[in-house]
Amino acid sequence: MSWLRFLRIPRPGATITGMLLCIPGLALLWWPSLWAAALGIELVATAFWWWARAAPDPSREIPRWAWLRRPAAALWLAAALHAAVPGLSHQSAWFRQSLELWRHVDAIAVVWAGLELLAALPLARPFSDLPGPLLAIRPWLPAVLPAAGFAVLWRQAPHWTQVAEVRTGTEVLLVLTGVLATLRAFGRRRWTASLRWLVVSDCAMAVLLITVGAVLPGVVLMLWLAACGGHAFLLAGELRGAAPRRGVALSLMWRVSTFVSSAALTWPALVTLFPTSAERLRTLDFPAAAIATMLTAWINVGRIVEAPERRTLMRADPVVTFSHLGALLGLVVAPVALLGALVTGFHPPVLVAIVAMVPALLGGALAAELAYEPGPHGAPRAAPDGVAQPAHAGTALRQFARITFNVVVALERAVVSFFARLAQAVTSPLRDLNSGDAQDFLLFLVGLSVLILVLPLLR
Amino acid sequence: MSTSELATSVIASFGTPLVPTAVALGVALLLFVLERRQDPLAASIAPFSVLPPLAAVVAVPERATLVLVPLIIGLVVAMLARNRNDLLHSECGLKLLWVLGPALTLSWAGMELLTLATGTSVTAEQWAVLQLGLEPRFLWSTALPLSLLAGMVLLGAAPFHFWMADLFHGARAWLAPLTAAAFQVMGAVWLTRRLTGIEAFPDGAGLTASMLAAASGVAFLAGAATLLGQRRPERRVGTLASLQGGIMLAALAAAHGHEDFAGSSRAMMGAWGTHLALAYTGASILARFLPVAPGLAAPGATLFRRHPITALFGALPLLSLAGVPGTPGSLVWLETARTLAATGHPGVLATLAVAWLAAFATAVQQLREGFGIPAHGQPPERPTPWPARGALWIAGLGLVAMAVAWGGRGVAG
Repeated sequence: MSWLRFLRIPRPGATITGMLLCIPGLALLWWPSLWAAALGIELVATAFWWWARAAPDPSREIPRWAWLRRPAAALWLAAALHAAVPGLSHQSAWFRQSLELWRHVDAIAVVWAGLELLAALPLARPFSDLPGPLLAIRPWLPAVLPAAGFAVLWRQAPHWTQVAEVRTGTEVLLVLTGVLATLRAFGRRRWTASLRWLVVSDCAMAVLLITVGAVLPGVVLMLWLAACGGHAFLLAGELRGAAPRRGVALSLMWRVSTFVSSAALTWPALVTLFPTSAERLRTLDFPAAAIATMLTAWINVGRIVEAPERRTLMRADPVVTFSHLGALLGLVVAPVALLGALVTGFHPPVLVAIVAMVPALLGGALAAELAYEPGPHGAPRAAPDGVAQPAHAGTALRQFARITFNVVVALERAVVSFFARLAQAVTSPLRDLNSGDAQDFLLFLVGLSVLILVLPLLR
Repeated sequence: MSTSELATSVIASFGTPLVPTAVALGVALLLFVLERRQDPLAASIAPFSVLPPLAAVVAVPERATLVLVPLIIGLVVAMLARNRNDLLHSECGLKLLWVLGPALTLSWAGMELLTLATGTSVTAEQWAVLQLGLEPRFLWSTALPLSLLAGMVLLGAAPFHFWMADLFHGARAWLAPLTAAAFQVMGAVWLTRRLTGIEAFPDGAGLTASMLAAASGVAFLAGAATLLGQRRPERRVGTLASLQGGIMLAALAAAHGHEDFAGSSRAMMGAWGTHLALAYTGASILARFLPVAPGLAAPGATLFRRHPITALFGALPLLSLAGVPGTPGSLVWLETARTLAATGHPGVLATLAVAWLAAFATAVQQLREGFGIPAHGQPPERPTPWPARGALWIAGLGLVAMAVAWGGRGVAG
């Protein structure tokens, strides 16, 4: 690179290089082309690797984020399949058995990529527990991945929603992810970690809306933007002095905004999942989604509290800040999106619609009851320094949530590990085929020739 | 002629077999000169004389006759055995002799059996005689696969992939790429010549069709499993080369039984062989500068630390062999996949997809290992020789030109 030094062009640092890879990568995910999506995820994976290699502890960070190549590989496969099998177009009317096979492979590949990014597959589920590899925005960075997963599954929906088996499997995985993510968010004490898991839950619930086909894709996007955007904004705000929680009014606005947007996101899904006699699967899906909704509402209402003021000299803040606008935006977009859903043909039965509202209302009410249980003088419960305290559930409940999550993840890991070892045991003899020993070569060739002679005799 | 017209015609020339092969030959000469400079005692240029015949086989595969095969193999083995003090070369030559010698012998035995059974040595006449049904099935069903064995071994497709990795590991960077490409082209020619016209004998066509399909499936699966287990960069390039043999087997399996089998095979073979010559040349040079399985959290290779742009450009041949989208190699993989899909070979297509994913993952892994983690402090003082860097640039640029040329008219023209 002497000529670079000669021209005095500075080498970009890891932060800039990663950003130059990650931002175009995320932008590419919103293009309809599968090639663009695959390239986008590959760029995001490369950005994470680039940050990880420059992190203070690369030997820990690089393997931690190496799984990101799997979703990229799955999308490359789907894109290549479309290029290789032109009849795979989902509008294609002609039918062949092998075409059905490739259609399934295509759907599975796209879903795999999206679900793994959404932490909905047992392979890399706990990634939201960990901060990202880039020091400057470590707690915020992993929230990018579920959002990328949503973008893939939303934009590429025609590739997987038309294959019934894949759609059903995805629905089950998403409901399970919703429950696990909210349990984890509920069980974590650290607010930034809880927010990361809420982002996972929001993305899973938004994709669930696509899976059940309750509302139009545009409505899903608006609902997701309101719910997930709110939590992502809060997470980013935590890195800037907890700005969205400064002051009573602002924290109240955010409490209401996130409650409304999360409830609006899950309501159409709950309505659609409401069990009927014909669909047994949904008798399990509905209560699971209801539990996730209730826990999300609890966290939104109970854990967004005014941040303690530690500054001795206050700086005059403007009356309206980005935090105000963010909260207001969520508060407006979510109801508008629901209105759009109702206008465009989403008409649930009244009783079902009311029942579907109950989990969110119940969660919010319970959290509010605990958070605003009056203190000795009728004021909200407060710490000795006078700041309101988050409505943590009892220790037993949080312990239960933590243990449930850990047990499920441990079970998943055991199953995955079993299959990985099995595959290793099966493929290790294949590796020995290339031992490098010259005698093996000749023996192998002679053995094969004898086989050629003997096989016809046996036949 | 204006500059733009000249540039267009130069780029278009990379779509022909001659120019990329000539470039590969030029790069080999550059590396050969570099080796002579580093070892002034070995000043003879005689070893280089082995390369033009190899390049000729790659550039004009339709002229390669079956008689030429043992001559070329003998030439390469003699070249490898030339210097008795060069242990790596000697071992590599010995291995090639042990594998290719018996394979050729068995195949000739098979061909002689067919001649004995049919009373003619002309392949087309053999199918016509066998179609009469006068010969016992056992005889021809044994002789036919035996006669194809040399072609399969020369293609280097798994399970005959061991020699390919050894060649890239043991032979010099100026010799290994063209040797591998020439051997693989000769393997493809062998199979094409032996199978031309077999549709006149449906039983034999059925047997060889299933054999080719099974062989390409095994080549992809075993090659992918081996690739994921390889630790040395040179052996990874060798295993990627064996997957290229699998691609040709799959293409032959797809074209097999059709009337234009010989024509379509030859069209595919020209593009495939020239791509191999250029891609092997670049990849085998890059492999010499890559670290040997250091893990992902080790400092990067010297080339990647001192000359990252050259390293990135030089990685194009490796990426092309792995079929990374956008490279000419990806067009070869895609063309084969399309042919397999169109001719109804879903099983082989599935194994090709598995192999492609494994190759892609390995290429990315190899690049990441090359870059490693930032080494805090000054880069190592020992520079990468300029002829090697120049060779990487030439191979990379050649592949870019080839991608542009192919983009205009497709892989098989």
